[in-house]
Amino acid sequence: MMTEKRHSFWRDVAKYRTLLIMISPAVLLVLLFSYIPMAGIVIAFKQFNYTGGVFGSPWAGFDNFKFFFQSGDAWRVTRNTALYNIGFMVLGNLLQIAAAVLLFEVGGKWFRKIIQSALFLPYFISWVVVGSIAYNFFSYDVGAINNVLASLGMERIDIYNTPAYWPYILVFFHTWKLLGYGTVMYLAAITSIDTEMYEAAEMDGANVFQRIMKVTIPNLIPTFIILALLAVGNIFRGDFGMFYNVIGNNGMLFSATDVIDTFVFRLLMNTNDFGMSSAAGVYQSVLGFVTILAVNYAVRKYDKDRALF
Amino acid sequence: MMKKKKKLGLVLTGVLAASMVLSACGQSNNGANNGAAANGSGSDDGGAANNQAANDAIDTSKAVNLKMVMLGPKPADYDQVFGEINKQLKEKVNATIDAEFLDWSDWGQKYPLKFAAGEDFDLIYTSNWANYNDQSNKGGFLELTDDMLAKYMPQTWAAMPKVKWDQARVNGKVYMVPQNQSKEFTDKLILYRGDLLEKYKLQPIDSPETYQAYLEAVAKNEKGMTPYGLEASDTKMHNLDKQLLLQKNNWFSVGDTSLAFKVDDAKGQVFSIYDTPEFKDLLTYYKSLADNGGWSRNALTNKGDTTGDFKAGKVASMSHNVTALGGILAEVDKTHPEWKATLADLTPDSHKSAAISTQNGIAIHATSKEPERAMMVLDLLQNDKSLHDLIMYGIAGTNYEPVGDDKFTKTDKYGNFNSFSNWAWNSPLNRVDTTYPQAAQDVEKKWAAQVFHYPLETFVFDNSKVLNEVTNVGNVMMRYGVPLEYGLVPDTAKGLETLQKQLKAAGIDKIKTELQSQIDAFLAKQG
Amino acid sequence: MQGLSVRSSRQKDRLLLSLIGYAMLGVMAFICVVPFVIVLSSSLTDENTIRMNGFGLIPKVFSAEAYRMIFEYPDDIVRAYGVTLVVTAIGTALGLFLTAMTAYVLCRKDFKWRNHFAFYFFFTTLFSGGLVPWYLLIVNYLDMKNTLAALIIPTLVNVFYIMVMRAFLAGIPDAISESAKIDGAGDFRIFLSLILPLSKPALATVGLFLALGHWNDWYSALLFISDDKLMPLQYYLYQMLGNLEGMRKAMLSSGTDISANIPGESLKMAMTVVACGPILFAYPFIQKYFVQGLTIGAVKG
Repeated sequence: MMTEKRHSFWRDVAKYRTLLIMISPAVLLVLLFSYIPMAGIVIAFKQFNYTGGVFGSPWAGFDNFKFFFQSGDAWRVTRNTALYNIGFMVLGNLLQIAAAVLLFEVGGKWFRKIIQSALFLPYFISWVVVGSIAYNFFSYDVGAINNVLASLGMERIDIYNTPAYWPYILVFFHTWKLLGYGTVMYLAAITSIDTEMYEAAEMDGANVFQRIMKVTIPNLIPTFIILALLAVGNIFRGDFGMFYNVIGNNGMLFSATDVIDTFVFRLLMNTNDFGMSSAAGVYQSVLGFVTILAVNYAVRKYDKDRALF
Repeated sequence: MMKKKKKLGLVLTGVLAASMVLSACGQSNNGANNGAAANGSGSDDGGAANNQAANDAIDTSKAVNLKMVMLGPKPADYDQVFGEINKQLKEKVNATIDAEFLDWSDWGQKYPLKFAAGEDFDLIYTSNWANYNDQSNKGGFLELTDDMLAKYMPQTWAAMPKVKWDQARVNGKVYMVPQNQSKEFTDKLILYRGDLLEKYKLQPIDSPETYQAYLEAVAKNEKGMTPYGLEASDTKMHNLDKQLLLQKNNWFSVGDTSLAFKVDDAKGQVFSIYDTPEFKDLLTYYKSLADNGGWSRNALTNKGDTTGDFKAGKVASMSHNVTALGGILAEVDKTHPEWKATLADLTPDSHKSAAISTQNGIAIHATSKEPERAMMVLDLLQNDKSLHDLIMYGIAGTNYEPVGDDKFTKTDKYGNFNSFSNWAWNSPLNRVDTTYPQAAQDVEKKWAAQVFHYPLETFVFDNSKVLNEVTNVGNVMMRYGVPLEYGLVPDTAKGLETLQKQLKAAGIDKIKTELQSQIDAFLAKQG
Repeated sequence: MQGLSVRSSRQKDRLLLSLIGYAMLGVMAFICVVPFVIVLSSSLTDENTIRMNGFGLIPKVFSAEAYRMIFEYPDDIVRAYGVTLVVTAIGTALGLFLTAMTAYVLCRKDFKWRNHFAFYFFFTTLFSGGLVPWYLLIVNYLDMKNTLAALIIPTLVNVFYIMVMRAFLAGIPDAISESAKIDGAGDFRIFLSLILPLSKPALATVGLFLALGHWNDWYSALLFISDDKLMPLQYYLYQMLGNLEGMRKAMLSSGTDISANIPGESLKMAMTVVACGPILFAYPFIQKYFVQGLTIGAVKG
């Protein structure tokens, strides 16, 4: 029995030899640059010092995790992180699909080129700059919005001191920044759709809207699922750049805008502790791992080929 | 969509760097303690006598090249100046230096990595705001024993007051050569527009009440100008706090927490600042200022810089330490003499504190192969007049003009050399900038007489046993405390209550017990 | 009769769609362009004006000081552009090829271990050892400090793009590969001559993303490059800004003043423009790969 299994294994290797060779460069690169450094995760469980280095430093068990859970805020920031990421994913993909479909269907060559380039512009504006511009818009004393309100005789709104507005504002910003980027992805997917399918639909008497709903959108679902699955693995990682540069250290807003990354950053601001920051990362990784396993399993049940692995 | 894990790192970088430098200015009190310098007079501890014997015993026959790591960008005139420095060093101790520079934008990330990767270097800049304590505890620096210091750094050993060495102790051991500067004060003061004072016929500012009058007058009458430039920072207490709370009551706040003790309390009893009636009163003061337009309602998010705002006339007063304000005053007097910019001390009768020695300094890498020669070079850089001038200011005649023995004026090439952390070698040999305004010098002179010595001035809090609590208390202070101090919380009583509750949950009591026991032990040892 | 009414209702539908399309896209494009106009305008505005009045759509007081600062040492910045171009070109070409090849293997339904390998790759996006091991590996063990290789190789392959590419390639009918195999072609040949030409939109998309990733990467340079001659553009700019701000704050504590009109906000804006300028110029030319449709049917023939 064993020898048979072994034989069939080597036979498979021979059978797939070309494919294996083709995949080997990537496998090696990933082994070298992702798996080997992964060993450093032990830092999360150690009292890291320079004399011991990564492997020689003394063990600390779960001590490095304590700081995160000490204040009871851990649940809140975890929840915030996940909710924001879900919001980004849902709204972002929705608008990107809409934009891609419309771009494909409407307008001439020049219109499409211009719009596409326009949509891509926010991608190049760093969050630091976005933070500055946002401040210019929302500021209570001199912001554009409040100036308009004041000139209309209305009361000024203190946006930077009111947490309730911010989930909407932040989801908007995130969507805005990645709009062009995601639209390109979906556009590529649309252009790969076999045009014969469109002709078939038209012959069946479908109008434009029906064609979109019955042909285009269903063919984009696989792309959406892949993007969603890839996002789920990172659902507990906050977009630190955005949160830090737009919100900063504004304690008034933390109840609505604190995510794991900003929370940990603030806690570890004055200590250089590699162990603790590594521990926070492990927390995020483990949670994400468990989630993606569950979601991927569910997707497999629904359609084996749509799953990630 | 992007590589999220990398993104965390990459922004963490820039932010960490920025925040660390920001905290540099505000944080001179934190972590370690206050020190009063025994002005000028060197008090040594028995090592000076070894001077002659030591020099005879050291063998400098082997030529040594030392690698030195500094913060800040590489100066344009590096080759010229360091060429000159190395020429003299070679003559005197047969050594040369190769300097590597960690730019302001990335040193936060690169600095600890250099240690973690075990890179080969001998000397490195360190300071309390560059996490000196942390790096020492992790084993990054070489321990400098009294014997070593006496033997290889005899001039420094003789010139540096004992207090400064003691302030640099971590767990009783010295890991860096601190600066030997006695003139820097950490106390903050106000710079305001004298012309506005006259315009509204106000009293000269020398107390919180007179300052409030000024702020309210400006808020009411000068639209488009912000009365006080309240900075958005990473520190838990803004500069006004430091004056009206800490300086006014002569409190010393410990370890970046809300715990403090009275400077003239012989027993060093620890209390939480938020518990005091003074704090409660101050909150009302702040709230009324914020409500009346004393500062921007969005000051917490505004990342602009108050210095530039003041110079541009957008802000009518600002606060900082005396050296910084002196520089600004000098410039504003040149560009806008009609503003009559004036310095004001809101707490003129309080005790003053000199900057702790660990504000700037140099440490020796624990794995350096030539620590002896490194120490000898350090000794010369801090105490040898010509070398000190070179490393601090550049080449005489090019980068600066010496004026007598102790003053200088900047030339237009000053910036070609002075871009990095050469403050590590601050010493009595420092020259004074001739453009440094008399007003600032007067303040310094007045304050020098008000410096207060107390037994706890060399006390350093070791927070390793309560690190988790300290991080969480810090977070609570930023989240609940800072908005109160910016006067933004609508119901201050309720806000204070929430703050107290959260503080307890974060473990402030545990820190308090630990701190008090350390203080008691320290005082007991002192006898 | 039937045909006529169908056609006119079709036209009405088309009109409606066009209306919705123009409106929505117009609004989206507007929201995306306006901030960039602000960036452009602020980059050409005098710093003091920005300080007093904030940003605006048109420069109130014109000043090219920020750009002057950036291009003050033209040799340096030209070299930085050069480094970035080389790194981006090599990194994208190599990376795209490897990504496509790997993705192809992963989507071959007859490959028994495809899901195992997929998991192998995907797992690395979940767990990471952090900065210290990464740095130690590349600097100490691989000795890549201050080499162009450090900017290209560690970030050559991105699992996210492999997965996305796999999804695109899965859309190519298996019939094509199978009939080629029957004709005796090897896997690699199928990949090169059949699959690659059929997946132009996917290649263009992933290629674009890879290129953007390399173009914007300053983190690798921060960690591994201290040699002036090997600094890529983004890092060069980042350093310039960081030095200015850090210097301003640190100098404050030692009392040295800095002249009031050093661009700060306008510098950040100018950097944005300088950094993305070339990409924005090149983008319209590569767009044709996205906007055209591709008929699978045509290849069948």
